[in-house]
Parts: sequence; C-alpha cells; structure tokens
Amino acid sequence: SAQDTMTLKMQSSWPASDIFQDMAKQYADRVEAMSGGRLKIDLLPAGAVVQAFQVQDAVADGVIDAAHTVTAYWYGKNKAASLFGTGPVFGADAGQILAWIHFGGGKDLYRELVQDILGLNVVGFFALPMPTQPLGWFKEEITSADQMKGLKYRTVGLATDIMQGMGLSVTQLPGGEIVPALERGVIEAFEFNNPTSDSRFGAQDVSKVYMLGSYHQAAEFFEIIVNKDLYDGLDPDLQAILEYGAEAANTANYGLAMDQYSKDLQKLINEDGVNVYRTPQSVMAAQLESWDTVLADLTQDEFFGKVVDSQKAWSERVAFYALTNQADYKLAYEHYFPGKLAF
Amino acid sequence: MEAYIRFADKVSAWFGKAFAWSILVMTFGVGYEVFVRYVLRDPTSWAFDISYMMYGALFMMGGAYTLSRDGHVRGDVVYRLWRPRTQATVELVLYFLFFFPGILALIFSGWKYASRSIGYLEVSVMSPANVPIFQFKLIIVAAGILLFIQGIAQVFRCILCIRRGYWPQAESDVEELETQLIKQHEREILHHGGEAIDIVLPAHHTAGEFTGREEAADRPRGGGTGENR
Amino acid sequence: MTDPQVAVAMLGIFIFTIMLGFPIAFTLMALGVGFGYYAYFDADRQWRAFNRAVESGADLFTQAETWVGGFLNNRIFDLFVNQTYSVMSNDVLTAVPLFLFMGYIVERANIVDRLFSTLQIAARRVPGSMAVAALITCALFATATGIVGAVVTLMGLLAFPAMLNARYNTSFASGVICAGGTLGILIPPSIMLIVYAATSGVSIVRLYAGALLPGLMLAGLYVVYVIGRAWLNPKIAPRPPRDENAVSGLALVWLLVTSFFPLAVLILSVLGAILFGLATPSEAAAVGAIGGLVLAAAYRALTWQRLQESVYLTVRTSAMVCWLFVGSWTFSSVFSYLGGEKVITDFVTGLDISPIVFLILAQIIIFLLGWPLEWSEIIIIFVPIFLPLLPHFGIDPLFFGILVALNLQTSFLTPPMAMSAYYLKGIAPPFVQLVDIFRGCMPFLSMVILAMILIYVFPEIVYWLPNLVYGR
Ligand code: NA
Ligand code: NA
Repeated sequence: SAQDTMTLKMQSSWPASDIFQDMAKQYADRVEAMSGGRLKIDLLPAGAVVQAFQVQDAVADGVIDAAHTVTAYWYGKNKAASLFGTGPVFGADAGQILAWIHFGGGKDLYRELVQDILGLNVVGFFALPMPTQPLGWFKEEITSADQMKGLKYRTVGLATDIMQGMGLSVTQLPGGEIVPALERGVIEAFEFNNPTSDSRFGAQDVSKVYMLGSYHQAAEFFEIIVNKDLYDGLDPDLQAILEYGAEAANTANYGLAMDQYSKDLQKLINEDGVNVYRTPQSVMAAQLESWDTVLADLTQDEFFGKVVDSQKAWSERVAFYALTNQADYKLAYEHYFPGKLAF
Repeated sequence: MEAYIRFADKVSAWFGKAFAWSILVMTFGVGYEVFVRYVLRDPTSWAFDISYMMYGALFMMGGAYTLSRDGHVRGDVVYRLWRPRTQATVELVLYFLFFFPGILALIFSGWKYASRSIGYLEVSVMSPANVPIFQFKLIIVAAGILLFIQGIAQVFRCILCIRRGYWPQAESDVEELETQLIKQHEREILHHGGEAIDIVLPAHHTAGEFTGREEAADRPRGGGTGENR
Repeated sequence: MTDPQVAVAMLGIFIFTIMLGFPIAFTLMALGVGFGYYAYFDADRQWRAFNRAVESGADLFTQAETWVGGFLNNRIFDLFVNQTYSVMSNDVLTAVPLFLFMGYIVERANIVDRLFSTLQIAARRVPGSMAVAALITCALFATATGIVGAVVTLMGLLAFPAMLNARYNTSFASGVICAGGTLGILIPPSIMLIVYAATSGVSIVRLYAGALLPGLMLAGLYVVYVIGRAWLNPKIAPRPPRDENAVSGLALVWLLVTSFFPLAVLILSVLGAILFGLATPSEAAAVGAIGGLVLAAAYRALTWQRLQESVYLTVRTSAMVCWLFVGSWTFSSVFSYLGGEKVITDFVTGLDISPIVFLILAQIIIFLLGWPLEWSEIIIIFVPIFLPLLPHFGIDPLFFGILVALNLQTSFLTPPMAMSAYYLKGIAPPFVQLVDIFRGCMPFLSMVILAMILIYVFPEIVYWLPNLVYGR
C-alpha cells in the first residue's frame, strides 16, 4: 500500500550555521525529491530537541526519527565505534574506507556493533568521505614532533589518545570556549574539522598558523541513522530511498566540500593573513607510531580487533592498487602552477 | 502522617547533605587541575569529567532535600494571597497532576536509560581517560526515587494543612543568611513589644508586603524561597 | 488544532499555571511531559501493537497489558530523561555550585562591617558619604557573593540604621541599600550571566568581559546620583559631625589594607583569571572558593558550622536553579518539536518591524515580566523565546544578554515581587513602610534605564573589553 506523506524529524549534531548542516540538508532534499514528496525530512540543528552527543540515544528511543552525526560522538559505548570514522590509517583514504563500508564487510560489522552488541534500535548509512582533517591551529609553524611535546592541545574522540601518546597535553574544553581559551593561552593549539567549519568558528581571529594534513582523523564520514522500528515499517521503495539517498548525498556533499573548503582556505590565506603549512613528514610518522600503541591496547578487545583486521586487509589490497596506479597529481599541479605548493 | 513526613524529610536531608559535600571534591579537584595545568604544565585528563559529574550528582540528589525545605522557586503572585487551606488544596491536586507523573517517568525511563548504559559499561567521550559514566546516569533514577518519597510527604503536608487550616512547621535547618537575620530580628522585636505588628502578622493581612521568610506556623507560604536572589 | 496552535496553547497555559504557585521547575516538567505525551502519541503504533497481540491469539490479560503498555510507552518519557541528563552534564552550569559556594563562604566571613566602616571614613568628605560608602560596599560585597538577599539584609542591618541615625531620608537610604545590593547579579562573576550563557550558548568569558564595564558604569551612575542629590539637597543626607570619624591618614590606610584589599584581591584574582588568560569560569570559581576559604580563615571566621552551612546552602540553591533547567529544557524541546518556536519567529518577522523597535519591545516585555517574576525564571524560560529572533534582526546575543542583565536589575526593585525591597522591609525598623522603600528605588530604576540607553547609543561600553582581551 502506498503511504501518504510522512515527515521524519531529523536532528543533526551541528549548529545551524555549520556547513555540515547544509550537507545534511542536501540529504533531506534528495530524499524528498526521490520519494515524490511522500517522505519529507524536517531537519533540525543540534540542541533543537536533544544535545549534539545525545542523538543516537534519541533515535534509538524514537524521540527523533533520524539523525545526522558521526560515530566518534558515541564511541564511549564501545571504542570500536570510532573505527567507523575516527580510526587508524593503513594507507587507504576516506573514500576507500567508505568503499570498505559498502563492499569490504564494514556495513555488516557496523550492524553487528549497533544492533547485536549494543542492542540499539537503529539502522545507519554513511556519506561523505571527509577530506583529511588538518592538524590544526597553532601559535607557530610546527616543524618537528618534538616541538609539539607538552603543547596544550584540544581535540576529540580517539584522536585524544593519539595526540596524548605523542606527548601533547590534551585538554578537554567546552566547544564555545575554544577560541577564547586559545587567545588566553589556556590552550596553545586545537583542531576542529576543515577550512570552512574552522573559519566560521573564528579560528583565524586567534591564530595565524594553520597546519594541514594529519593522521588523527584522516578517514571520517557522516553517519545517518534512522529508528529501526520506523524504518522496518516503511514501504521497500521508501527504505531504499533512505538508504541510497545517502549515496546520492555523498556526491553532493563532496562537491560542496571541495568547492567551499578550497574557497575558504584561499580566503583564510588572502583575507585573514593566515599562514598555511603542510604538516611535516616526521610529525605524521610520529602519529603512526602513536596509533600503533593505541591499537596494541584496544585490539585486545575481540570485536575491535576484528574490525581492525578487516580494515587492514582491505587497505592492504585496495591501497596497493590505488597508490600504485594513481597518477602523480602533485607533479601535474606543479607543472601547471609552478612554485605554488610550498612542500 | 507526621511520622512519615519526618521520615521523608530525614531521608531527603541525609542524601542531599551527603551529596552536598561533593562541592568540596569539586572545588579541590578543579583547584588541583588548575595547579597542575598552569604551574606544572601537565593537565589531568579526568578533571573535566569529574567536575560535571560532581555538579550533576550534587544538584540532582539535592532536589528532594530542597523540596522538603520548600526551596524550589514558586510563581506566587496569586498563591500567597490565598488562605493556607486554599493553597494546600490547589497544591494537593497539582502534586497528582504535575508532580508524580513526571517523577515516575524519571524513575522508570531513567532506569531504561541507565541500564542500557550499564549494559555496555559506557565511558565518557570527553577524554582518553576512559572515565566511566554509567553510574552517573543511575543518579537520574536515585534522584527520582528520593523525589517520589518526598512528594508523598508533601502530599501529607497538604492534607494536614487542609485539616488544620495552617501549614505544619518545617524542621529547623540551616537557613539563608537573610532568613536567619530576619528571624533573629523578629525575635528581638517581639521582645520589645507590639510595635512590629506588620511583620509578625500573617502575610494575607499585609498582602503584597513581606514575603522573604520560611514558613512559620499559622502563616501561608510563598515567596519565601529566598535563595540566590 | 494544529501542532503549532497546540504549542501556543502550551505557552498560554504555562503563564496561567505559573500563578498557581506550584514549584515552577515541576510545573514546567509537567507541561513538557504532558504536551510531549500528546505530541508523541501515535495511535497507529498503539493499534498495530494491539492487533498483533490479538492476531497472535494472546489471552485477554495479555491483550489488556499490551493496550495499557502502549499508553505507558510514550517517547516523551525518554526525551525527558535525555534532557535531564543534558542538564546534568552541561559544562557551563558546572560553575553554578562553585560560585555559590564561594559566595556563601565569603558572606559568612564577617568582612562586610569592617568594609563599610572603613569606606565610610574614607569617603567622609563627599556629600552623602554614608550612602556612597554603602553603595561601594554593596557593589564589592555583592560582586564577591553574588547573593542579593544576603547583601541587602546585611547592609540593611548595618548601613541602613547608621544612615537613619545620621538623619538620612528614609526613602533615599532604602533605595541605596536595595539598588546597591542588586548589583551583584550584574557585575561578574555573576550566576545570572552563567545561566544566560547556558541558555544562549554565548561564551561565558565574553559575557563576563562584556558585563564588567556596564556593571561598573551602573554602580558609577548610582554613586553620581547619590552625590548629586545629597549636594543639591543636603537635608536628605546630612554630613556626619566631624570629630566622630577623625582618623589619621596612616590608620586609614591600614584599615583599608585589612578590610578592603583582601576582598578586592579575591574578586580581581577570580575575574582576572577568567578575563586575562588563565582559567575557564569553573576553574576560576574553584580557585575563588579556595580563596574564600583562605580569606574566611584569615578573618578567623571559618568554623566547622559555617563550612557546613555553606555546603548545605550550596546544594539547595544549586538544586533550585538546575531543576529549573531540567523542567525548562523538556518544556522548550517539546515546544519546538510542536513547531512553537517557528510560529513565534514567523509571527514576529511578519510584523515587519525594525531591529530597534524589536529590541525595545523585547526589553519592555522583559521589564514587565520582572514585576511578577524573578531573574531565574525569566532567563531560563522566557529569554529563549527571544533568542531565535536575534539573527533575523541582526542583534548580537552578547549585546542582548547585557541589556537583559541590566534590565533584570529592575526585577528586584519592582512590586509585587520586589525581593530586595522585601528583604530590607524584613529587617528595617517598623516605621519604614514598603511604600517608602519603593519610592526610594524609583530613581535607581531610572538610572538602570539610563544605563541601557547609554549602552545602546555607545555599544563600545559593552564591546571594548571583550575586543581588547579576545580580539575581533
Ligand atoms: Na576533528
Ligand atoms: Na519584581
């Protein structure tokens, strides 16, 4: 039986002004258009019904119907959650790890975690392989891993373990206090997500050094979750629209990210006087070592170990292909825009 | 009934006061964090989690204690003009209509929420220190049970007031400074004779005048939350 | 009725039920849960579950159980618990018990009488010297404690009789005590600003920086008013006889050092830690509380009993404020779930008014709410209705917050719920009538309005310090 118009209440974990909210809107718009208006999504910003970190519980209980979030926000329930976003890097990029979700067994492992291990009444889809998250905002250019030792730094999720393992003093601060705290020296550095979100946040007002490239969050994506009872009760075509809508939003999100992030990076450089550097190789190497230590500990857990093994096997094969085959994009860029890249 | 009221007041006060001491844990815990962060440049990874847990436990477990001392703020512009019997009747109805349904939800849904968290031994996502938070979620249930016990006592207070025509005397306890001072002052005035008539008379005789006191026998309550103003 | 209409009804019913005098936290909780029950009730789901039970051939008892269970299994209860947890884990509100504790410790440290007598001597050549000393004592003491009732009562017992003995005009003296005692909720560190920060999401340190100059400006306007009136009309504030207060310059300096400076140092270190680089508000509050303990010990006022009293009062007042949040967050998320927020936004934006008209209307509404209500209810329950409208009119929530904080000074001084006046009346000699007190408060109310106008015309008063300290 064809259902009448149904409106899903979807809340995100983002403030209304964040570009992530625009990306959630792209998903909502696609679902509505593809369903011929039978399925509408009423998209609300963080805090409208529940707080940003509470959306998963709220969807499981049916307090909201759906949510647009990331898994790092609920990894306190099980550390393995972070692997579906903020996880280790074995050579595959975010797009290739998203491919692991769809074709490498990631989807089943995610379902096992959410439904079997945690017993949550939730189904989830993924979208947007996020570009590598920058190492962040600093008072001066970072040239070595040693220079970062003892630095008071703010980040979230498993990334706190990594940075702490590198000898940084990782500090937890409420989101709204990051910029004032950096200005006042309570923290000396922080990372957020991308040039657009960071600049809307006001990072350039308090810091003029932006280090790009890092392994702390190099393969994150959005998690779109729907209450399972509600999902199971939908007609199969509407179920398909919710699921494949995430795949459609993927392309739209990526396009928006590339366009907007790159524009805002230029704006940061040209209008705000921010000095942009690439994180040196030695720092990235130290991050990998730190990941080793963190993984040695966490893979003691059976399920965590299983997911890591699966990602590792996937990366070994897929990244081998990708890296061996990939054109040298940097060479081409320097060919046409000589002297622009500073690394 | 009076025995139950005394019992509930005692239970609420015991838990409220016991958890009140978490303010000292908080003060010195955060103080320690400030010291190690700014002086030794070596922040803890747990102080932030500890501070909000202490704060949350403190105010949640203090809810029933505050209720027993009539410390929750009221909008009493109209309420305080009523006779005690009218106040008690309205309040009695509202306890069943407004208070118990929500508190029961707090207990039962709170248990559902907390037990799920206990099931996966949830830890905080705010730090790498793996600070457990499932026990903190259990506070919701505990606070709900305390409020339920105290709510019954408040219902009995209403019934006694309807029967007798005046509010039963509250147990003596630590008071806000202004309340202490005012009470002291009142006693002095009483010693000095009858000129203080407008202060000691029940407030409905001097409607719209003084309201800053805890309940005394034979006068209506209201406006006397006197806290943090 | 459509959902948004139900939301508007919800707000109307709340304003009505608030009059019934039931504790507001639980009234909000009840209306949130009640209307949420309606919003989340799903008849289809109820029937589906019931039909499933019938089809599966369950006995009558199980059928009934399914039916009743369906009613009890409403998602509003989960939302309520979820919101409760959000209040419990709110990082801004963590500072509330810490600052309260600091305030209770300081108010019990026996320093206010020294402070007043010293300042009175220091100000003795100024017209209305006692009133000036009382105002400065109030401002300092209120800043350290932030607890209005204690300041008004203590000063009412100390400075008020002294002024009456010196033949000060009763109304004039009452106004000084009531208005001065209320300054503590405006001048940082103030609980009211923390609560506004938690409600609006504005950075608390920026709010503190923004409120400092307006707070000092208001205190300054009060002093100017007092000196001006006493100068124009010396009868209302006669000069004290000279010989009484004769103290050598050196002795005066020593008095100031022992009474004025420790408190000032405590306040400045707390504020300085927040504003100039060192700590988050919760951290500064903890340091302030430790400082308060040291100060009380130095004045030999730190007894076991006083510590206990401070701890117990901290838990009660924190519970009062934070349970209000538990109720109001549930209420407002149901209100917004039903679409109430959008109705109000659409209505106000449809009025086609200019930002200045909106700002004035909003402040008038808040001023009027300040008659029957107190600051905590207004900020936690009513200010959130205005907040979503601010971006539409291009008004900075920081600026709006400072205006509200100034405005709410009046809520203590305007009847029928004029807490400052009632505290003073409670300890004043019987011949002092409430009418006298209210009359004395009026000129100070106009100073508050003058301060608001000044801030509107010269927003730099708000922005200068935050811009200086935090850039932008
Ligand atoms: Na990040
Ligand atoms: Na008022």
